[in-house]
Amino acid sequence: MADAVLTAERVAKAFGAHKVLSDVRFRIGTDEIVGLLGPNGSGKSTLLNIVSGFSHSDAGEILFLGNSIAGMPSHKIARQGLVRTFQLPSMPHRMTVREVLCAGSRDGAGLLDAFSGKGGDDAEADELIEQFALAPVAHLPASSLSGGQKKLLSIAVALRTQPKLLCLDEPTAGVHPQLRGRMVELLKAFSKRGVAMLVVEHDMHFIRELCGRCIVLDRGEIIADCAPRELTKNERVVEAYLGKSVARQKVSA
Amino acid sequence: MVEFLVHVAIMACLYGLLSLSLNLQVGFAGLVNFGQVILFGCGTYGAAIAFSHQLGPVAGIALGIVFAVIVAAAFARLGRNLGADYWGIATLAVAEVLRILANNEAWLAGGAQGVGGIPLLFGDMPRPMGPLMTLGLCVALLLAAWWLCQRLTTSRYGLALKLMREEPQLAASLGYDLAALKTQTLMVAAVLAAASGFVFAHYITFVGPDQLVSSETFLIWAMVIIGGSGNHLGAIVGAILMQFLFAFVPFVKDALGLPSEHVAAMRLTLVGGGLLAFLIWRTQGLIPEHVGGKQNG
Repeated sequence: MADAVLTAERVAKAFGAHKVLSDVRFRIGTDEIVGLLGPNGSGKSTLLNIVSGFSHSDAGEILFLGNSIAGMPSHKIARQGLVRTFQLPSMPHRMTVREVLCAGSRDGAGLLDAFSGKGGDDAEADELIEQFALAPVAHLPASSLSGGQKKLLSIAVALRTQPKLLCLDEPTAGVHPQLRGRMVELLKAFSKRGVAMLVVEHDMHFIRELCGRCIVLDRGEIIADCAPRELTKNERVVEAYLGKSVARQKVSA
Repeated sequence: MVEFLVHVAIMACLYGLLSLSLNLQVGFAGLVNFGQVILFGCGTYGAAIAFSHQLGPVAGIALGIVFAVIVAAAFARLGRNLGADYWGIATLAVAEVLRILANNEAWLAGGAQGVGGIPLLFGDMPRPMGPLMTLGLCVALLLAAWWLCQRLTTSRYGLALKLMREEPQLAASLGYDLAALKTQTLMVAAVLAAASGFVFAHYITFVGPDQLVSSETFLIWAMVIIGGSGNHLGAIVGAILMQFLFAFVPFVKDALGLPSEHVAAMRLTLVGGGLLAFLIWRTQGLIPEHVGGKQNG
């Protein structure tokens, strides 16, 4: 496996007496696309929030490219190259799709840059608009997009930051099936350019097509770390999703 | 009549500066500042303190800017731990505390009595040249402020402000330091407001705490909302419109044969009624924000 872009060691989190994450350990290589699975309430979103700085762990260590990012504010983590999307992407009412994409790059976005003429044309934003099929709506307010288009825009704007690790929170929710195939192609293309990915997703078909490895969480603990095709053979995974009795029948069959 | 119109135009320009300053905060950065009048007060008290210590107008404007930057930094610091609405209330409270301080501390700048006799900026010129020169200065300041705001908000920096205004979580996830953006915006806006206060002090020739009552803040808010929040031209138009309407209230009073005490009530009705009408029927104001400007890259 290539060098680790992200390493989590003994990460724990509790909300009062309720333990949400316990002793979570995993690593993601610089060339990997890893799926993060688990039933509702298993701690996926909490883990994503902790990794991206929107929440902080109670214990453990998180290393991004070898440097500790535990407790670091979200904007500083993003500046290092770890960028995330949200499960329910909310977009601005008074900014166009193109403006949102342009805002994805902080190059030329400083106060003094406003007087130096930096940050004029944005060919990369235009390229992303084409790649993500957003050209017909590029001039519209970003909030007017459909749920699926907002998902695409949120991924495109995250990629505009040129991340080293992209964390996607349920990228296919609300996206048309035809667009899902396109999304797999695009994400694989960006992965080949050196963007590692951690994908929280419920759509197993999407995970099988996109990810080389899966981590499965249940009640805050990692119960599997394997290739997607091995998931259905894993008794603990089947039990987490379908219950104990079904798991025994499925695995023995 | 010409001198009266020049006076109204000077006041319209000074309020235009305040309106631009508030519009940069609330219209672009989403900073709900209810303590705007104290940033103006930093400029008036800078002029008053410099005059009291025979330091001259250059020291006055420098003091005003320093005070304004300090208050802006304090406002920004407050905002780190408060939601937008609570922060707005906190700015109102800070502005009131500072006004009461100015009212009660005679050593600061005359306390409740204020400071009078502040020299006119063009006092050695004969009338009407003096007021006309003041008007020229005010127009130049307003144009410079408009250019500055326009430059800031049509750049990538402006996109960052708008993203922070509407989707702060998304902005943070893309690497924007929201605390730094808020601090910078408040400081730029504070300098504009202080410049207005400084010229006002040298035009009215008197500075006192009664000029810093919170109703002044809400008058500036009315100008921004009526003109068009998120549009610099709208903010200026709102200020000019309100000032000229205010100026002609006494004439309307005379025409209707109303007693003089009705003037203040009519002005208050104009502010409150205008605010309500626009908030209900035309929330985007007279000149709405343009979504998707020519420079978005």
